[in-house]
Amino acid sequence: MKPTLFRCIAGALLPGLTVSVCLHAQEFKVFDRSVQVHGFATQGFAYTNNNNFLTMNTTNGSPAFTDGALNFSMAINDKLRVGAQAYARKVGQLDDFRPELDWAYGDYRFARWFGVRAGQVKTAIGLYNDTQDAEFLYTWAMLPQGTYPLDLRSSMIAHIGGDVYGQIRMKKAGRLDYTAYAGLRTFDDRGGYYIFSSDLGMPITSLSGRAEGWDLRWTTPIKGLILGSSWTNMTQTRDGVYNMPGVFPPNTLYKCAAAPQRTAVGYGDYQKGKWDFSGEYRATDYWLNIYTPVFGSTFTWNGGNENWFLTSTYLAAKWLSVGVYHSNYHVDSPANPANIASNHVYDEVGAVRFDINRFWIVKAEGHFMDGYGDVYSTQGFYERSNPGGFKRRTDMLVLRTSVNF
Amino acid sequence: MKHLRFILITAALILCVSWQAQAAGVKVIANPSVKTDSISTGDLRSVFLEDSDSLAGSHVEPVLAKGGPAHEAFLKDYLGKSDPALQAFYRSLVFTGKGSMPKALASDADVVAYVARTKGAIGYVSSTASTDGVKTLEVK
Repeated sequence: MKPTLFRCIAGALLPGLTVSVCLHAQEFKVFDRSVQVHGFATQGFAYTNNNNFLTMNTTNGSPAFTDGALNFSMAINDKLRVGAQAYARKVGQLDDFRPELDWAYGDYRFARWFGVRAGQVKTAIGLYNDTQDAEFLYTWAMLPQGTYPLDLRSSMIAHIGGDVYGQIRMKKAGRLDYTAYAGLRTFDDRGGYYIFSSDLGMPITSLSGRAEGWDLRWTTPIKGLILGSSWTNMTQTRDGVYNMPGVFPPNTLYKCAAAPQRTAVGYGDYQKGKWDFSGEYRATDYWLNIYTPVFGSTFTWNGGNENWFLTSTYLAAKWLSVGVYHSNYHVDSPANPANIASNHVYDEVGAVRFDINRFWIVKAEGHFMDGYGDVYSTQGFYERSNPGGFKRRTDMLVLRTSVNF
Repeated sequence: MKHLRFILITAALILCVSWQAQAAGVKVIANPSVKTDSISTGDLRSVFLEDSDSLAGSHVEPVLAKGGPAHEAFLKDYLGKSDPALQAFYRSLVFTGKGSMPKALASDADVVAYVARTKGAIGYVSSTASTDGVKTLEVK
Protein backbone atom coordinates (compact mmCIF):
# COMPACT_ATOMS: atom_id res chain seq x y z
CA MET A 1 0.00 0.00 0.00
CA LYS A 2 2.66 2.52 0.99
CA PRO A 3 4.49 2.76 -2.38
CA THR A 4 1.14 3.08 -4.21
CA LEU A 5 -0.07 5.72 -1.76
CA PHE A 6 3.17 7.68 -2.08
CA ARG A 7 3.08 7.56 -5.86
CA CYS A 8 -0.56 8.60 -5.86
CA ILE A 9 0.03 11.54 -3.56
CA ALA A 10 3.08 12.68 -5.54
CA GLY A 11 1.29 12.14 -8.80
CA ALA A 12 -1.65 14.23 -7.67
CA LEU A 13 0.12 17.02 -5.80
CA LEU A 14 2.72 17.90 -8.41
CA PRO A 15 0.27 18.42 -11.27
CA GLY A 16 -2.06 20.17 -8.84
CA LEU A 17 0.65 22.65 -7.94
CA THR A 18 1.55 23.19 -11.58
CA VAL A 19 -2.01 23.56 -12.79
CA SER A 20 -3.13 25.87 -10.00
CA VAL A 21 -0.27 28.23 -10.77
CA CYS A 22 -1.30 28.37 -14.43
CA LEU A 23 -5.08 28.76 -13.95
CA HIS A 24 -6.27 32.08 -15.27
CA ALA A 25 -7.92 33.72 -18.26
CA GLN A 26 -11.00 31.55 -18.88
CA GLU A 27 -13.03 34.15 -20.66
CA PHE A 28 -13.07 35.25 -24.27
CA LYS A 29 -15.40 37.06 -26.69
CA VAL A 30 -17.53 35.61 -29.48
CA PHE A 31 -19.44 38.18 -31.53
CA ASP A 32 -18.91 40.63 -28.66
CA ARG A 33 -20.47 38.22 -26.16
CA SER A 34 -18.43 36.96 -23.26
CA VAL A 35 -17.88 33.18 -23.17
CA GLN A 36 -16.71 31.69 -19.90
CA VAL A 37 -14.83 28.40 -19.74
CA HIS A 38 -14.54 26.48 -16.48
CA GLY A 39 -13.41 23.05 -15.48
CA PHE A 40 -12.23 20.77 -12.76
CA ALA A 41 -10.19 17.61 -12.28
CA THR A 42 -10.01 15.38 -9.22
CA GLN A 43 -7.77 12.53 -8.20
CA GLY A 44 -8.54 10.27 -5.29
CA PHE A 45 -7.09 7.36 -3.40
CA ALA A 46 -9.11 4.90 -1.31
CA TYR A 47 -8.04 2.17 1.09
CA THR A 48 -10.31 -0.24 2.97
CA ASN A 49 -9.54 -2.81 5.62
CA ASN A 50 -12.37 -5.08 4.48
CA ASN A 51 -14.40 -5.33 1.27
CA ASN A 52 -13.43 -3.65 -1.96
CA PHE A 53 -15.63 -0.61 -2.47
CA LEU A 54 -17.10 0.94 -5.63
CA THR A 55 -15.34 -1.70 -7.79
CA MET A 56 -11.95 -0.28 -6.82
CA ASN A 57 -9.26 -2.59 -5.45
CA THR A 58 -9.40 -0.67 -2.19
CA THR A 59 -8.10 -3.45 0.07
CA ASN A 60 -4.75 -2.91 -1.64
CA GLY A 61 -5.20 0.85 -1.89
CA SER A 62 -6.58 2.16 -5.17
CA PRO A 63 -5.93 5.36 -7.11
CA ALA A 64 -8.56 4.40 -9.73
CA PHE A 65 -10.67 7.34 -8.63
CA THR A 66 -10.46 10.16 -11.14
CA ASP A 67 -12.91 12.53 -12.76
CA GLY A 68 -13.05 15.86 -14.53
CA ALA A 69 -15.26 18.22 -16.47
CA LEU A 70 -15.00 21.13 -18.85
CA ASN A 71 -17.77 23.59 -19.65
CA PHE A 72 -18.51 26.77 -21.49
CA SER A 73 -21.40 29.19 -21.05
CA MET A 74 -22.52 32.37 -22.70
CA ALA A 75 -25.24 34.97 -22.22
CA ILE A 76 -26.77 35.46 -25.68
CA ASN A 77 -28.76 38.44 -24.41
CA ASP A 78 -30.16 39.72 -21.11
CA LYS A 79 -32.59 36.81 -20.83
CA LEU A 80 -31.03 33.86 -22.69
CA ARG A 81 -28.03 31.78 -21.63
CA VAL A 82 -26.58 28.69 -23.31
CA GLY A 83 -23.91 26.33 -22.21
CA ALA A 84 -22.63 22.77 -22.12
CA GLN A 85 -20.40 20.59 -19.99
CA ALA A 86 -18.51 17.39 -20.80
CA TYR A 87 -17.64 14.97 -18.01
CA ALA A 88 -15.38 11.93 -17.77
CA ARG A 89 -14.40 9.65 -14.94
CA LYS A 90 -12.91 6.35 -13.93
CA VAL A 91 -13.90 4.84 -10.58
CA GLY A 92 -12.59 1.29 -10.36
CA GLN A 93 -14.35 -0.63 -13.12
CA LEU A 94 -17.02 2.06 -13.47
CA ASP A 95 -16.62 4.10 -16.62
CA ASP A 96 -13.33 4.35 -18.42
CA PHE A 97 -12.62 8.03 -19.02
CA ARG A 98 -14.99 8.13 -21.98
CA PRO A 99 -16.25 11.73 -22.15
CA GLU A 100 -19.97 12.15 -21.95
CA LEU A 101 -22.31 15.07 -22.23
CA ASP A 102 -23.08 16.15 -18.67
CA TRP A 103 -25.43 19.03 -19.39
CA ALA A 104 -26.22 21.21 -22.38
CA TYR A 105 -29.15 23.55 -22.48
CA GLY A 106 -30.63 26.91 -23.20
CA ASP A 107 -32.02 28.92 -20.30
CA TYR A 108 -34.52 31.69 -20.91
CA ARG A 109 -35.59 33.80 -17.96
CA PHE A 110 -38.83 35.65 -18.67
CA ALA A 111 -38.96 37.16 -15.20
CA ARG A 112 -37.53 36.53 -11.75
CA TRP A 113 -40.54 34.30 -11.01
CA PHE A 114 -40.52 32.33 -14.27
CA GLY A 115 -37.89 30.84 -16.52
CA VAL A 116 -37.47 27.75 -18.71
CA ARG A 117 -34.56 25.46 -19.47
CA ALA A 118 -34.48 22.95 -22.33
CA GLY A 119 -31.88 20.38 -23.21
CA GLN A 120 -29.97 17.98 -20.97
CA VAL A 121 -30.42 19.53 -17.55
CA LYS A 122 -29.10 18.49 -14.15
CA THR A 123 -32.02 17.29 -12.04
CA ALA A 124 -32.94 19.26 -8.94
CA ILE A 125 -33.49 16.74 -6.13
CA GLY A 126 -32.53 17.35 -2.55
CA LEU A 127 -29.59 19.38 -1.39
CA TYR A 128 -26.84 18.22 -3.74
CA ASN A 129 -28.13 16.10 -6.65
CA ASP A 130 -27.31 18.61 -9.37
CA THR A 131 -23.93 19.58 -7.87
CA GLN A 132 -22.75 16.18 -6.56
CA ASP A 133 -19.86 15.94 -9.06
CA ALA A 134 -18.36 19.24 -7.90
CA GLU A 135 -16.66 17.82 -4.81
CA PHE A 136 -14.70 21.07 -4.38
CA LEU A 137 -17.94 22.68 -3.19
CA TYR A 138 -17.97 20.51 -0.07
CA THR A 139 -15.85 19.58 2.90
CA TRP A 140 -16.34 15.89 1.99
CA ALA A 141 -14.26 13.77 -0.33
CA MET A 142 -17.41 11.69 -0.84
CA LEU A 143 -20.97 12.85 -0.28
CA PRO A 144 -23.11 10.48 1.83
CA GLN A 145 -23.19 7.39 -0.35
CA GLY A 146 -26.55 6.21 0.90
CA THR A 147 -28.11 9.29 -0.74
CA TYR A 148 -25.63 10.25 -3.48
CA PRO A 149 -24.07 6.95 -4.57
CA LEU A 150 -21.11 7.49 -6.90
CA ASP A 151 -21.75 4.21 -8.68
CA LEU A 152 -25.40 5.00 -9.49
CA ARG A 153 -24.78 8.63 -10.39
CA SER A 154 -26.16 8.45 -13.91
CA SER A 155 -29.58 7.12 -12.93
CA MET A 156 -30.78 10.38 -11.37
CA ILE A 157 -28.30 13.08 -12.24
CA ALA A 158 -29.84 14.61 -15.34
CA HIS A 159 -32.80 14.48 -17.68
CA ILE A 160 -33.21 15.32 -21.33
CA GLY A 161 -36.23 17.58 -21.41
CA GLY A 162 -37.06 20.78 -19.69
CA ASP A 163 -37.50 22.70 -16.48
CA VAL A 164 -39.64 25.56 -15.42
CA TYR A 165 -38.22 27.48 -12.53
CA GLY A 166 -38.45 30.71 -10.65
CA GLN A 167 -38.22 32.59 -7.44
CA ILE A 168 -41.10 34.01 -5.45
CA ARG A 169 -40.40 36.63 -2.82
CA MET A 170 -42.73 36.43 0.17
CA LYS A 171 -41.55 39.58 1.98
CA LYS A 172 -41.16 38.74 5.66
CA ALA A 173 -41.86 35.06 5.02
CA GLY A 174 -38.65 34.70 3.02
CA ARG A 175 -38.33 33.35 -0.47
CA LEU A 176 -39.38 30.27 -2.43
CA ASP A 177 -37.30 28.81 -5.27
CA TYR A 178 -39.16 26.25 -7.34
CA THR A 179 -38.21 23.87 -10.13
CA ALA A 180 -40.47 21.48 -11.98
CA TYR A 181 -39.06 19.15 -14.59
CA ALA A 182 -39.83 16.37 -17.00
CA GLY A 183 -37.72 14.45 -19.43
CA LEU A 184 -35.93 11.26 -20.36
CA ARG A 185 -33.52 9.69 -17.91
CA THR A 186 -29.86 9.36 -18.84
CA PHE A 187 -28.24 6.01 -18.11
CA ASP A 188 -24.58 5.06 -18.30
CA ASP A 189 -23.91 1.60 -19.71
CA ARG A 190 -20.60 1.60 -17.83
CA GLY A 191 -22.19 2.58 -14.52
CA GLY A 192 -23.29 0.74 -11.43
CA TYR A 193 -26.71 -0.35 -12.69
CA TYR A 194 -25.28 -2.28 -15.60
CA ILE A 195 -22.37 -3.78 -13.69
CA PHE A 196 -24.54 -4.85 -10.77
CA SER A 197 -27.18 -6.40 -13.02
CA SER A 198 -24.47 -8.30 -14.87
CA ASP A 199 -23.10 -9.63 -11.58
CA LEU A 200 -26.62 -10.81 -10.68
CA GLY A 201 -26.85 -12.81 -13.90
CA MET A 202 -29.21 -10.32 -15.53
CA PRO A 203 -27.09 -8.27 -17.92
CA ILE A 204 -28.93 -5.34 -19.47
CA THR A 205 -29.29 -4.90 -23.22
CA SER A 206 -31.38 -1.73 -23.10
CA LEU A 207 -32.48 0.66 -20.38
CA SER A 208 -34.60 3.78 -20.66
CA GLY A 209 -37.11 5.77 -18.69
CA ARG A 210 -38.64 9.12 -17.86
CA ALA A 211 -38.35 11.37 -14.87
CA GLU A 212 -40.71 14.05 -13.72
CA GLY A 213 -40.88 15.92 -10.47
CA TRP A 214 -40.36 19.09 -8.57
CA ASP A 215 -38.16 20.76 -6.01
CA LEU A 216 -39.20 23.52 -3.65
CA ARG A 217 -36.65 25.40 -1.57
CA TRP A 218 -37.66 27.87 1.12
CA THR A 219 -35.17 30.47 2.27
CA THR A 220 -36.80 31.10 5.61
CA PRO A 221 -36.95 34.37 7.56
CA ILE A 222 -34.53 32.78 10.04
CA LYS A 223 -31.12 33.94 8.81
CA GLY A 224 -29.07 31.03 7.48
CA LEU A 225 -31.90 28.47 7.43
CA ILE A 226 -33.09 26.80 4.24
CA LEU A 227 -35.73 24.07 4.15
CA GLY A 228 -36.79 22.13 1.10
CA SER A 229 -38.70 19.28 -0.39
CA SER A 230 -38.44 17.31 -3.62
CA TRP A 231 -40.49 14.63 -5.27
CA THR A 232 -39.68 12.57 -8.30
CA ASN A 233 -41.41 9.85 -10.29
CA MET A 234 -39.20 7.74 -12.49
CA THR A 235 -40.20 5.13 -15.03
CA GLN A 236 -37.88 2.37 -16.14
CA THR A 237 -38.04 -0.01 -19.06
CA ARG A 238 -35.28 -2.56 -19.04
CA ASP A 239 -34.54 -5.48 -21.37
CA GLY A 240 -31.90 -8.13 -20.92
CA VAL A 241 -30.82 -11.70 -21.29
CA TYR A 242 -30.43 -14.01 -18.29
CA ASN A 243 -26.95 -15.33 -17.61
CA MET A 244 -27.79 -17.99 -15.01
CA PRO A 245 -26.59 -21.38 -16.23
CA GLY A 246 -28.66 -24.12 -14.72
CA VAL A 247 -31.48 -21.75 -13.88
CA PHE A 248 -32.45 -20.34 -17.25
CA PRO A 249 -31.66 -21.72 -20.71
CA PRO A 250 -29.22 -19.67 -22.79
CA ASN A 251 -30.63 -16.54 -24.45
CA THR A 252 -33.66 -16.39 -22.15
CA LEU A 253 -34.98 -12.84 -22.36
CA TYR A 254 -36.41 -10.77 -19.55
CA LYS A 255 -38.20 -7.45 -19.45
CA CYS A 256 -38.49 -5.11 -16.47
CA ALA A 257 -40.68 -2.14 -15.77
CA ALA A 258 -40.80 0.02 -12.66
CA ALA A 259 -44.26 -0.01 -11.10
CA PRO A 260 -43.69 2.62 -9.66
CA GLN A 261 -40.42 4.24 -8.63
CA ARG A 262 -41.06 7.37 -6.61
CA THR A 263 -38.90 9.27 -4.17
CA ALA A 264 -39.99 11.86 -1.64
CA VAL A 265 -37.29 14.08 -0.12
CA GLY A 266 -37.10 16.53 2.76
CA TYR A 267 -33.98 18.55 3.51
CA GLY A 268 -32.54 21.47 5.40
CA ASP A 269 -29.39 23.49 5.76
CA TYR A 270 -28.46 25.92 8.53
CA GLN A 271 -25.45 28.21 8.44
CA LYS A 272 -24.47 30.14 11.54
CA GLY A 273 -21.14 31.89 11.65
CA LYS A 274 -18.46 29.33 10.89
CA TRP A 275 -20.80 26.38 11.39
CA ASP A 276 -22.94 24.62 8.84
CA PHE A 277 -25.45 21.87 9.56
CA SER A 278 -27.37 19.96 6.92
CA GLY A 279 -29.63 16.98 6.67
CA GLU A 280 -31.67 15.13 4.10
CA TYR A 281 -34.20 12.30 4.22
CA ARG A 282 -35.42 10.23 1.26
CA ALA A 283 -38.07 7.57 1.06
CA THR A 284 -38.23 5.58 -2.17
CA ASP A 285 -41.19 3.47 -3.16
CA TYR A 286 -39.76 1.14 -5.81
CA TRP A 287 -41.46 -1.90 -7.29
CA LEU A 288 -39.98 -3.66 -10.30
CA ASN A 289 -41.96 -6.10 -12.44
CA ILE A 290 -39.64 -8.66 -14.01
CA TYR A 291 -41.31 -10.51 -16.88
CA THR A 292 -39.83 -13.60 -18.48
CA PRO A 293 -41.62 -14.05 -21.83
CA VAL A 294 -40.64 -17.69 -22.38
CA PHE A 295 -42.40 -18.66 -19.14
CA GLY A 296 -45.10 -15.99 -19.31
CA SER A 297 -44.44 -15.21 -15.66
CA THR A 298 -43.91 -11.94 -13.78
CA PHE A 299 -41.97 -11.57 -10.57
CA THR A 300 -42.40 -8.36 -8.61
CA TRP A 301 -39.43 -7.18 -6.61
CA ASN A 302 -39.69 -4.60 -3.85
CA GLY A 303 -36.67 -2.30 -3.96
CA GLY A 304 -38.11 0.28 -1.57
CA ASN A 305 -35.62 1.96 0.71
CA GLU A 306 -35.05 4.87 3.03
CA ASN A 307 -31.94 6.91 3.52
CA TRP A 308 -30.92 9.99 5.43
CA PHE A 309 -27.87 11.86 6.57
CA LEU A 310 -26.87 14.58 9.02
CA THR A 311 -23.71 16.66 8.59
CA SER A 312 -21.85 19.24 10.58
CA THR A 313 -18.92 21.33 9.31
CA TYR A 314 -16.79 24.04 10.85
CA LEU A 315 -14.72 26.60 8.95
CA ALA A 316 -11.68 26.69 11.22
CA ALA A 317 -9.80 29.09 8.92
CA LYS A 318 -10.24 30.36 5.39
CA TRP A 319 -8.03 27.46 4.23
CA LEU A 320 -9.24 24.76 6.63
CA SER A 321 -12.59 23.17 7.28
CA VAL A 322 -13.48 20.04 9.23
CA GLY A 323 -16.66 18.04 9.39
CA VAL A 324 -18.48 14.88 10.39
CA TYR A 325 -21.54 13.12 9.05
CA HIS A 326 -23.69 10.09 9.62
CA SER A 327 -25.25 8.39 6.60
CA ASN A 328 -28.00 5.81 6.97
CA TYR A 329 -29.33 3.57 4.18
CA HIS A 330 -31.94 0.93 4.88
CA VAL A 331 -33.73 -1.53 2.58
CA ASP A 332 -37.44 -2.03 3.25
CA SER A 333 -37.64 -5.70 2.18
CA PRO A 334 -34.23 -7.36 2.35
CA ALA A 335 -33.69 -10.60 0.45
CA ASN A 336 -32.23 -12.21 3.58
CA PRO A 337 -33.80 -10.69 6.70
CA ALA A 338 -31.80 -13.06 8.92
CA ASN A 339 -28.54 -11.43 7.79
CA ILE A 340 -28.69 -8.06 9.51
CA ALA A 341 -25.60 -6.79 7.67
CA SER A 342 -27.36 -7.10 4.34
CA ASN A 343 -30.27 -4.75 4.88
CA HIS A 344 -28.41 -1.52 5.57
CA VAL A 345 -25.30 0.58 5.19
CA TYR A 346 -24.49 2.96 8.01
CA ASP A 347 -21.51 5.26 7.58
CA GLU A 348 -19.80 7.48 10.16
CA VAL A 349 -17.43 9.95 8.53
CA GLY A 350 -14.85 12.49 9.64
CA ALA A 351 -13.19 14.81 7.09
CA VAL A 352 -10.70 17.64 6.83
CA ARG A 353 -10.35 19.96 3.85
CA PHE A 354 -7.34 22.14 3.04
CA ASP A 355 -7.71 24.98 0.52
CA ILE A 356 -4.13 25.31 -0.75
CA ASN A 357 -5.24 28.29 -2.80
CA ARG A 358 -8.34 29.50 -4.64
CA PHE A 359 -8.04 26.70 -7.21
CA TRP A 360 -6.51 23.69 -5.41
CA ILE A 361 -8.00 21.61 -2.61
CA VAL A 362 -6.79 18.56 -0.70
CA LYS A 363 -8.99 16.38 1.52
CA ALA A 364 -8.56 13.49 3.89
CA GLU A 365 -11.53 11.49 5.11
CA GLY A 366 -12.26 8.43 7.22
CA HIS A 367 -15.32 6.22 6.78
CA PHE A 368 -16.55 3.67 9.28
CA MET A 369 -19.23 1.58 7.58
CA ASP A 370 -21.54 -1.03 9.02
CA GLY A 371 -23.38 -3.28 6.58
CA TYR A 372 -23.11 -3.79 2.84
CA GLY A 373 -26.64 -3.39 1.55
CA ASP A 374 -29.02 -5.90 0.04
CA VAL A 375 -27.94 -8.58 -2.43
CA TYR A 376 -30.41 -7.13 -4.96
CA SER A 377 -29.60 -3.48 -4.37
CA THR A 378 -26.09 -2.26 -4.88
CA GLN A 379 -24.72 0.26 -2.41
CA GLY A 380 -21.10 0.31 -3.48
CA PHE A 381 -20.40 -3.35 -2.69
CA TYR A 382 -20.03 -5.53 -5.79
CA GLU A 383 -19.66 -9.31 -6.01
CA ARG A 384 -17.17 -9.09 -8.85
CA SER A 385 -14.80 -7.13 -6.57
CA ASN A 386 -15.49 -9.33 -3.54
CA PRO A 387 -15.65 -12.94 -4.82
CA GLY A 388 -15.03 -14.30 -1.32
CA GLY A 389 -18.13 -12.62 0.05
CA PHE A 390 -18.65 -9.51 2.14
CA LYS A 391 -17.61 -8.68 5.68
CA ARG A 392 -19.98 -6.67 7.83
CA ARG A 393 -17.67 -3.75 8.66
CA THR A 394 -15.64 -1.62 6.28
CA ASP A 395 -13.28 1.11 7.40
CA MET A 396 -12.05 3.31 4.60
CA LEU A 397 -9.50 6.10 4.18
CA VAL A 398 -10.11 8.46 1.27
CA LEU A 399 -7.63 11.06 0.06
CA ARG A 400 -8.74 13.38 -2.69
CA THR A 401 -7.28 16.41 -4.41
CA SER A 402 -8.88 18.64 -7.00
CA VAL A 403 -8.21 21.69 -9.07
CA ASN A 404 -10.95 23.87 -10.51
CA PHE A 405 -11.07 27.10 -12.44
CA MET B 1 -19.16 70.41 35.72
CA LYS B 2 -19.01 72.47 32.53
CA HIS B 3 -15.86 70.68 31.50
CA LEU B 4 -17.36 67.30 32.31
CA ARG B 5 -20.40 68.02 30.14
CA PHE B 6 -18.09 69.12 27.31
CA ILE B 7 -16.02 65.96 27.64
CA LEU B 8 -19.08 63.73 27.65
CA ILE B 9 -20.59 65.43 24.60
CA THR B 10 -17.29 65.29 22.76
CA ALA B 11 -16.88 61.62 23.62
CA ALA B 12 -20.41 60.90 22.43
CA LEU B 13 -19.74 62.72 19.16
CA ILE B 14 -16.50 60.83 18.64
CA LEU B 15 -18.24 57.51 19.27
CA CYS B 16 -21.04 58.47 16.90
CA VAL B 17 -18.67 59.48 14.12
CA SER B 18 -16.52 56.37 14.52
CA TRP B 19 -19.61 54.13 14.47
CA GLN B 20 -20.79 55.80 11.28
CA ALA B 21 -17.35 55.41 9.74
CA GLN B 22 -17.31 51.71 10.64
CA ALA B 23 -20.83 51.06 9.35
CA ALA B 24 -20.04 53.01 6.16
CA GLY B 25 -16.76 51.08 5.46
CA VAL B 26 -18.00 50.24 1.98
CA LYS B 27 -19.95 52.08 -0.65
CA VAL B 28 -21.82 50.69 -3.64
CA ILE B 29 -20.97 52.17 -7.02
CA ALA B 30 -22.49 51.79 -10.47
CA ASN B 31 -21.87 52.73 -14.06
CA PRO B 32 -23.70 55.97 -14.97
CA SER B 33 -25.90 53.94 -17.35
CA VAL B 34 -27.70 52.36 -14.36
CA LYS B 35 -30.97 54.28 -14.11
CA THR B 36 -31.22 54.67 -10.37
CA ASP B 37 -29.38 56.43 -7.59
CA SER B 38 -30.43 54.01 -4.86
CA ILE B 39 -30.83 50.30 -4.33
CA SER B 40 -32.54 48.26 -1.65
CA THR B 41 -30.55 45.69 0.29
CA GLY B 42 -32.83 43.01 -1.18
CA ASP B 43 -32.12 44.11 -4.75
CA LEU B 44 -28.41 44.40 -4.00
CA ARG B 45 -28.40 40.84 -2.72
CA SER B 46 -30.39 39.66 -5.75
CA VAL B 47 -27.92 41.22 -8.18
CA PHE B 48 -24.83 39.81 -6.48
CA LEU B 49 -26.34 36.36 -5.99
CA GLU B 50 -27.43 36.36 -9.64
CA ASP B 51 -31.13 36.07 -8.83
CA SER B 52 -31.72 39.17 -10.91
CA ASP B 53 -29.78 40.90 -13.68
CA SER B 54 -31.86 44.03 -13.96
CA LEU B 55 -32.38 47.11 -11.84
CA ALA B 56 -34.80 49.94 -12.58
CA GLY B 57 -35.10 48.70 -16.13
CA SER B 58 -31.34 48.54 -16.68
CA HIS B 59 -29.39 45.36 -17.26
CA VAL B 60 -26.81 45.10 -14.49
CA GLU B 61 -23.69 43.03 -13.90
CA PRO B 62 -22.12 42.51 -10.48
CA VAL B 63 -18.41 43.19 -10.02
CA LEU B 64 -16.55 41.94 -6.97
CA ALA B 65 -13.30 42.68 -5.22
CA LYS B 66 -10.95 39.75 -4.78
CA GLY B 67 -10.44 40.53 -1.11
CA GLY B 68 -9.74 43.26 1.40
CA PRO B 69 -11.68 45.08 4.10
CA ALA B 70 -14.30 46.52 1.74
CA HIS B 71 -14.94 43.05 0.31
CA GLU B 72 -15.32 41.50 3.76
CA ALA B 73 -17.60 44.33 4.89
CA PHE B 74 -19.77 44.02 1.79
CA LEU B 75 -20.17 40.26 2.18
CA LYS B 76 -21.00 40.54 5.85
CA ASP B 77 -23.31 43.58 5.66
CA TYR B 78 -25.20 42.81 2.47
CA LEU B 79 -24.82 39.19 1.38
CA GLY B 80 -24.57 37.40 4.71
CA LYS B 81 -21.98 34.98 3.32
CA SER B 82 -18.33 34.36 3.97
CA ASP B 83 -15.95 34.56 1.01
CA PRO B 84 -15.55 30.73 0.80
CA ALA B 85 -19.34 30.33 0.89
CA LEU B 86 -19.79 32.95 -1.81
CA GLN B 87 -17.18 31.36 -4.07
CA ALA B 88 -18.82 27.96 -3.56
CA PHE B 89 -22.18 29.51 -4.45
CA TYR B 90 -20.87 30.96 -7.71
CA ARG B 91 -19.15 27.69 -8.58
CA SER B 92 -22.39 25.78 -8.01
CA LEU B 93 -24.02 28.04 -10.60
CA VAL B 94 -21.13 27.73 -13.05
CA PHE B 95 -20.92 23.94 -12.90
CA THR B 96 -24.67 23.45 -13.38
CA GLY B 97 -24.94 26.06 -16.13
CA LYS B 98 -27.23 28.27 -14.10
CA GLY B 99 -24.98 31.29 -13.90
CA SER B 100 -21.54 32.73 -14.51
CA MET B 101 -18.58 33.75 -12.39
CA PRO B 102 -18.68 37.51 -11.78
CA LYS B 103 -15.67 39.65 -12.56
CA ALA B 104 -13.37 39.97 -9.53
CA LEU B 105 -10.72 42.68 -9.37
CA ALA B 106 -7.73 43.22 -7.15
CA SER B 107 -8.11 46.81 -5.93
CA ASP B 108 -10.58 49.64 -5.41
CA ALA B 109 -8.99 51.49 -8.33
CA ASP B 110 -9.45 48.47 -10.62
CA VAL B 111 -13.08 48.11 -9.54
CA VAL B 112 -13.79 51.79 -10.17
CA ALA B 113 -12.08 51.68 -13.57
CA TYR B 114 -14.02 48.57 -14.64
CA VAL B 115 -17.37 49.90 -13.41
CA ALA B 116 -16.72 53.24 -15.12
CA ARG B 117 -16.16 51.65 -18.53
CA THR B 118 -18.70 48.80 -18.35
CA LYS B 119 -22.33 49.49 -19.05
CA GLY B 120 -24.55 48.17 -16.27
CA ALA B 121 -21.72 47.29 -13.89
CA ILE B 122 -22.35 47.47 -10.13
CA GLY B 123 -19.53 47.06 -7.64
CA TYR B 124 -18.33 48.15 -4.23
CA VAL B 125 -15.26 49.91 -2.89
CA SER B 126 -14.04 51.22 0.44
CA SER B 127 -15.86 54.31 1.59
CA THR B 128 -12.75 56.47 1.13
CA ALA B 129 -11.99 55.35 -2.43
CA SER B 130 -12.11 57.81 -5.29
CA THR B 131 -15.18 57.26 -7.47
CA ASP B 132 -14.41 59.34 -10.55
CA GLY B 133 -16.45 58.22 -13.51
CA VAL B 134 -19.04 56.22 -11.52
CA LYS B 135 -22.05 57.01 -9.39
CA THR B 136 -22.54 56.02 -5.79
CA LEU B 137 -25.80 54.23 -5.00
CA GLU B 138 -27.53 54.87 -1.72
CA VAL B 139 -28.36 51.53 -0.08
CA LYS B 140 -31.77 51.63 1.57
